[in-house]
Amino acid sequence: MAGKKVFGLNQINPASHALEHKEAAKVAVFGLASDFGCQVQMTNIERELLDVLGMFELVYWQLVSSAPLPEDFDIAIIEGAVCTQEHVETLQWIRERAKVVIAIGACAVTGGIPGLARGNVDDFAKRVYGDVPASCGSMASPRPVSDIIAVDFTVPGCPIEPLELVAVLQRALMGGNPEAGGRSMCGDCRLNEDVCFFERGRICLGLVTRAGCGAPCIKLGYPCNGCRGLAASANLDSARDIVAGYGLDVADFDARLQIFNKAGQDSSRS
Amino acid sequence: MTQTRLNIHHVARIEGHGNVNIEVQDGVLTDVEMNITEPARMFEQMVRGRSCTEVSYIASRICGICSPNHAITSLLCLEDAMGIEVSERTSKLRSLLIRGSYLQNHATHLYVLAAPDYVGLQSAFPLATAAPDVLSRALEIKRLGNELCNAVGGRSVHPNTCVIGGFTAEPDPKVLLALADRLQAIADDCIATGDLFGHFEVPDFKSQGDLLCLVEDDDYAVISGQTRALLSAWTRPVGEYRDFIIERSRPYSNAKFSTLPNGRTFMTGAIARVNQSWGKLSPAARIVAAKAGLRPVWLNSFKNNLSQAIELVDCVERCAQLCREIAADTGSSAPAPFEFKSGHGVAATEAPRGTVYYEIDVDDKGRVEYANILTPTAQSLANLENDLRLFVPRIVDRDPDTFKMLVEKLVRAYDPCLSCAVH
Repeated sequence: MAGKKVFGLNQINPASHALEHKEAAKVAVFGLASDFGCQVQMTNIERELLDVLGMFELVYWQLVSSAPLPEDFDIAIIEGAVCTQEHVETLQWIRERAKVVIAIGACAVTGGIPGLARGNVDDFAKRVYGDVPASCGSMASPRPVSDIIAVDFTVPGCPIEPLELVAVLQRALMGGNPEAGGRSMCGDCRLNEDVCFFERGRICLGLVTRAGCGAPCIKLGYPCNGCRGLAASANLDSARDIVAGYGLDVADFDARLQIFNKAGQDSSRS
Repeated sequence: MTQTRLNIHHVARIEGHGNVNIEVQDGVLTDVEMNITEPARMFEQMVRGRSCTEVSYIASRICGICSPNHAITSLLCLEDAMGIEVSERTSKLRSLLIRGSYLQNHATHLYVLAAPDYVGLQSAFPLATAAPDVLSRALEIKRLGNELCNAVGGRSVHPNTCVIGGFTAEPDPKVLLALADRLQAIADDCIATGDLFGHFEVPDFKSQGDLLCLVEDDDYAVISGQTRALLSAWTRPVGEYRDFIIERSRPYSNAKFSTLPNGRTFMTGAIARVNQSWGKLSPAARIVAAKAGLRPVWLNSFKNNLSQAIELVDCVERCAQLCREIAADTGSSAPAPFEFKSGHGVAATEAPRGTVYYEIDVDDKGRVEYANILTPTAQSLANLENDLRLFVPRIVDRDPDTFKMLVEKLVRAYDPCLSCAVH
């Protein structure tokens, strides 16, 4: 599970507890480096969002509103990977103000796809631009939000399942605990009665990936690429043995694992 | 001498992060910069060395809105590189997926991002109580666009069923037929959208740039065709894109800027397509345009919004028809087996905001050796900057709030995607 601060299962979450006496919690939405896909997913639950708007006051969301950034908010929803020094400062500013921080989407939770540039940022920038524009600022290796500030809740996935965000917002509001995210996906495929990709001679990252999405990609004939990040219980060495046991290439497995976990693996996880 | 900076920091209601920097000396405009600060994302480099089978999956993450285009253009490009043919059914499903994203994109942009400008609101949220019918109409079009993309692509953001050679899964014909009926049922909502945007007043303005998009002899081009420059009056194969689009970086922007070889800037997207493919629009779409007083060629960039609404009217009919055709057809979209071989490919498609070009080299093990991607907003950004140079002097004496609103209105009329632009 991503995050420096992980609440135990039977511990009351003090962060969200602080919201208890508020009438309508003020929610601010921030974007770091991303494709805005998770924010687009948030606009895709407009009806549900309108229903819960009475419980929240959306005070800042630049994608859909010109309302300026306020000094005061209770819940910060953060999308995107940390890619510049400016992002680091923004996150610190947010953490000083927000009672609850929710990281949404693979980019924010594991470093996601932007994390593929990790270790090569300067070289990549030179190849893309020649002369790197001054506006690029102080670029840094992409990192998840939890590398910089404490994160209270995560909504993993690329993109997020937006109703999962609604559930997490409710937990934040009611003082619930975050999901532990321990299981990997294989149990979901069993429940779905899908034929395992390994049985079909193909690598699937569901073996080590945090469950909770219901394995829709597998149902659609597409092996898991691990967008929800590693499950807390993931045992990579044992997974590599399984890959080799099926006569598949462990190097391919490791390359695929990078797609969403390169930044996470390099920093907080090992 | 007084020098004033009229900078607009982080333009709201667009995808991505960017500022408009404007400098005025003694009441005369001296500088305009589209200062795109969306962090450098470097997708072309991130796919280098990786298996070509991962490209569409990774590249679709360039954009949360036009992910179907990034997925499909990269697939077409790789199929071009490795000489892979796909079935007609696969092409139809790809076309449907992209057109579904037009419904989703245009409804979101028109109602949620652009409309608040025209009714003096900060966001569309107050419409829930002030004009519930209008908001409900918007959400229904958007929702159907999403459902269409879900049905064909597996999900609306980052489709996962489209792969090299075809689709891993397909919607049931019954689902397609039900969608066709529901699409037919919102045709009037799309017309009402066109009428609404036809009534919104926009500044009288004429952009100096050209209009570029894909064209086909017998179709409203979205997944094939050649590039046409309407005003320069030339048509070229997309494979020659480097000869007709010159892309350069500038120190104040993380997104690159594009021009034609003679330095002329150009617009992409709905305004280019609707003007260019006027004769192929449905009668209903042309009636909406006529009611709004439009006849090709219009060069008012503010009317890109109205052009999107006209395209919506045409698109919803095409989507319904495609759903029925695919449901009745018995062909297969199952991915054809292929072998990796080295090659060079170029492909282009029309995304909601304009043409997306991909160029990829693969080696004989199917690894990406080189990738170059041109996105619509990176192409039209220079034209937007030029428009601002023409427009700002006309409004420079307005009060600060009105000035900001008018500048942002022009920026938003482009429906820019800065995440895409930087990629």
